[in-house]
Amino acid sequence: MATFELYRRSTIGMCLTETLDEMVQNGTLTPELAIQVLVQFDKSMTEALETQVKSKVSIKGHLHTYRFCDNVWTFILQDALFKSEELQETVGRVKIVACDSKLLSQ
Amino acid sequence: MATSATGMVYIRVIEDVISKVRDEFVNNGPGESVLNELQGIWEMKMIQAGVIIDRTSAPKQPAPGGPITPVHDLNVPYEGTEEYETPTAEILFPPTPLQTPIQTPLPGSTPLPGSTPLPGSTPLPGTADNSTYNIPTGSSDYPTPASDSGGNTEAKSGNGRPSSYMPPPPSPWMNPRPPLSVDVNVAYVEGRDEADRGTSHQPLTQDFFTMSAGKRKREDFPAQYHNGGYNIPQQDGAGDAMSEIFELEVSEFPGRQDSVTTANREIFANLASSSVKIPQLDGPIPDPYDDVLSTPNASTPAVVTQNDAAEDDDDEPLNENDDDELDDVDQGEELNTQHLVLAQFDKVTRTKSRWKCALKDGIMHINNKDILFNKATGEFDF
Repeated sequence: MATFELYRRSTIGMCLTETLDEMVQNGTLTPELAIQVLVQFDKSMTEALETQVKSKVSIKGHLHTYRFCDNVWTFILQDALFKSEELQETVGRVKIVACDSKLLSQ
Repeated sequence: MATSATGMVYIRVIEDVISKVRDEFVNNGPGESVLNELQGIWEMKMIQAGVIIDRTSAPKQPAPGGPITPVHDLNVPYEGTEEYETPTAEILFPPTPLQTPIQTPLPGSTPLPGSTPLPGSTPLPGTADNSTYNIPTGSSDYPTPASDSGGNTEAKSGNGRPSSYMPPPPSPWMNPRPPLSVDVNVAYVEGRDEADRGTSHQPLTQDFFTMSAGKRKREDFPAQYHNGGYNIPQQDGAGDAMSEIFELEVSEFPGRQDSVTTANREIFANLASSSVKIPQLDGPIPDPYDDVLSTPNASTPAVVTQNDAAEDDDDEPLNENDDDELDDVDQGEELNTQHLVLAQFDKVTRTKSRWKCALKDGIMHINNKDILFNKATGEFDF
């Protein structure tokens, strides 16, 4: 089953990647095993986001750049406003990377 | 924060991942210990990133102000050794005998060991006064004016036969060293006294210089002293060659044509030449492209072309600033450390310049915070 490697770029994903890299360099882990861990992370993360998270967010801003390549949308927003029930954040520049959700269910 | 929803989700994800891969680790992998290590390091990095707080440790991180390396207390005045307590003594009595001839222009009156006859006679009365100054002036190279009261004979013998006396130069120094310390005090005091009537007594070399001048006057050395009014230069520590040069000048003017003087004149010439032109060899600026070229002459066109390339490389850094403004967009896209939203999209539509998108299951990292969402709607104006 294919997974989105998208979430490996998040904070938790980067921490895991760094940890695995260190252990592979030390020789504690084999690269194959590290890849297996990452794949499992992809699955667990996706599942957790689907089941454990219930918040909604609205995004508004000026679209500076848009790109669609390999079924991946990449937006760069300027002066974006993120609103949700709990919080409200404004950022000067934000990048949004979105994969096609239909690919997973195929 | 561990209590935050995001932190809880992360912890659950970690536990889920670890539990799912445990079978792999135990059966085919390195084992449970490595798995625990993996989890530990992963959680530690998460804590350092600030996205979760470990449940076990309440404070985030202990204040790093604890270990303070002991710093040597500089407020305490430096307690130097006895040697340094009396710097004058240090200068007066340098540890190496070789330094003494440099620092003491007294031998200028009799700079050459070969010129023993004159100093041999006249300094005798001077030595009586110089007995206190034996140490600074009593260099083996210039034994005439400077010599121990006990070492006068040795000095004089050294004057007459410097060749035989030269080999063991440290001997006259090493022996009288203990008494030197005593003489130092005496000499220093007398130096002050004589300096009062002479010039200021700042460096000891100057003191001795005035002393020597005074001595020479008493010793009837007007010829040397009045020759052209050449002021014997003050000898500082680094002026080895120049001091010798000037000393030789003084020695030459009295008209002595000793073989030693001629030899010294040659030395003087050599010294002058050596001092005038200090050959400085700067190699050609290493051109990295020349490394490929064995003989630059043979491959001149290649050199030219490569130099152009080198010039381009030199120009590129200069021109880099031109593209910075244009590259802001690309750099902004490449910077993953900036605010980031990772999600899946259900739908992306556009009407004229108005974009709408429906996102789901996303992780946002904005303003140094991690926010998870299940659904998101976006409205952008292009």
